[in-house]
Amino acid sequence: MNSLVVIYAIMFFFGIYFLLIFVVLYFRNKEKMDDYPKATRFPRVSILVPAYNEEKSISGTINALLELDYPKDKKEIIVINDGSKDNTSGIIREFMKKHKEIILLDKKNSGKADSLNQAIKIAKGDFIAVVDADSYPTKDVLKKMIGYFENDEKVAAVTSKVWVKNKNNFLERFQDVDYCVIAWSRKILDFIGAVYVTNGPFSVYRKSLVKEVGGFDPKNMTEDIEITWNLLSRGYKTKMSYSAKVYTIVPEKVKVWTNQRVRWNVGGLQTLYKYRRFFLTHGENLFGRFVMSYVSLSFLLALFGLLLSLRFIYLAISPYLFSLPYFFQGYNPFLFMDFYFAFTILFIWGALFFGLSILFHKLALQNTEVKRKNILTIVIYIFVYRPLYMVPFVKSFYRLIRGDIKWYTK
Amino acid sequence: MVYKIVKSVHRDFIETLFLTLLILLIGFLIGFYVESYRTNQISKSYKEFEVGALDLRLQNYYFQIMKESSCEKAIEQNFVFADRIYDEGLLLERYEQSNELSEDILLEKKKYVLLKTELWLNSILLKEKCGNPFHTVVYVYSQTGNALKESEQDAISNILRKLKEERGNDIILIPIAGNIGIDIVDLQLNSYNVTYLPSIIIDEKQVLEGFHELDEIKSYLVDDNKKNSGVIRLN
Repeated sequence: MNSLVVIYAIMFFFGIYFLLIFVVLYFRNKEKMDDYPKATRFPRVSILVPAYNEEKSISGTINALLELDYPKDKKEIIVINDGSKDNTSGIIREFMKKHKEIILLDKKNSGKADSLNQAIKIAKGDFIAVVDADSYPTKDVLKKMIGYFENDEKVAAVTSKVWVKNKNNFLERFQDVDYCVIAWSRKILDFIGAVYVTNGPFSVYRKSLVKEVGGFDPKNMTEDIEITWNLLSRGYKTKMSYSAKVYTIVPEKVKVWTNQRVRWNVGGLQTLYKYRRFFLTHGENLFGRFVMSYVSLSFLLALFGLLLSLRFIYLAISPYLFSLPYFFQGYNPFLFMDFYFAFTILFIWGALFFGLSILFHKLALQNTEVKRKNILTIVIYIFVYRPLYMVPFVKSFYRLIRGDIKWYTK
Repeated sequence: MVYKIVKSVHRDFIETLFLTLLILLIGFLIGFYVESYRTNQISKSYKEFEVGALDLRLQNYYFQIMKESSCEKAIEQNFVFADRIYDEGLLLERYEQSNELSEDILLEKKKYVLLKTELWLNSILLKEKCGNPFHTVVYVYSQTGNALKESEQDAISNILRKLKEERGNDIILIPIAGNIGIDIVDLQLNSYNVTYLPSIIIDEKQVLEGFHELDEIKSYLVDDNKKNSGVIRLN
């Protein structure tokens, strides 16, 4: 066996293992997917909405927040205008004339994490809900999340299920699939206490604990991942309410999509590096033993997957590329195109892995709003949409090497 | 409480580990069975080649001892064997390219090269005996090399396949790995001064190094000797 075969075998092992973890945990807990602890009391919640040039979407977000099914006197909405150059501030001021629960924090641009930290200082609630200014929570979202904090002081954060609002073009439609898969798998991780991301569109935090861990990290590109790891690393719990639903606007153009993924990747790697000392350490939760190794291996598998894909592409095109000199001597290599697949052990492992991937995605997409949940959608998602991730993946490493770390989404 | 959750999660992880190993084992067993079957098939083919090669050798003795001048029958047998060994050779190349785990097939390759060399020698003998009724085109390629070399060899291989399709039983095409460590192959290559791989040896007279156009290769396949013999054509 050569080293390449060993790499393939290791990749298949971890790939199949991780897929099976989700499938096994799903079948063990499927009746509990939509369960959430009912709240018996409603503590004060400060809803923080950091906004930078959000004039197109912020009205919808604020309206959704005003309509939240939660006692009016128990919620305040703090919009942090992070130095917007558009009319974001003006729109909020208009809202403020009619709704006293809205507070505007106008400040110079300093990034999302710093905006949140400043807002926390003036927030009156015992809990803070962080909401992206292009997200639209459903009415009952807060009620379906706040109960998690009631009987367990260790619960530091609860996150929601994010679905896509705009589903017009190919990219948006497959981001819809992407978000559904992410939400489903995150809920599965909730069953083993390993929710490692509290999303930006709508997550609720216990304010005292956020303060205790030093707030959001302004140096990190993905403050939502960082704060979650910070809390987990100190033994606190993070939960997910699969019933709490929030819609968000996703990028419609490849460039914006790429920049968003670059930010996720760079932020993820930053966080991984920052918390590297917890790798495989024992604690009160599975942060060191599972989350760290799962995320690290995900990056490694993606990296090896990328390298092996590049090798595959190289092997596929190199005969034609290197035949070019003979092309000018009257030889047409394309006349001799020939494809052949042999059933080797690796091929069979690949087929089993593919079959398991189909099952995984089929389970993830059931009970979602994805229009076509058939195998064709899944195959396109796996073989067309997911490979697009290679672009931001490579770009992330390039930017990390260059030390070019800044907010890329807008 | 925490202890209970962690314990239950550990059970999930361990059970999943066993399930993963089971799936990999099933894949391995299926793959092993398929590869073993294929290797057996190839070994069987080699054995049949060996029988065919021995048959050819004995036919030569027969024709020499019996002084029989029936070249037609001998050449026909030679072509049947050559075509079979060529077609099977293409299949073997594919197996070899796609095979990541088993090296059994590669170990059989030397035997295969020996059989092809025997075919070549037999063809030389037949040509001498029967008055050059066909052409021999021996394609000597490198077993090792970089992508550039492989592309050059692919191009030559495809051109020669086309030549064979066009000329049919007018030529015997024999692809041989030239640097596989077999003495008889080295002897042959030395005797024709082959110093570069890949090369094409046409009728043991012309040695074409590297890639040459189809028309150029065809131009070396002159029929003077055939005209002189004027006896056998098997088209």
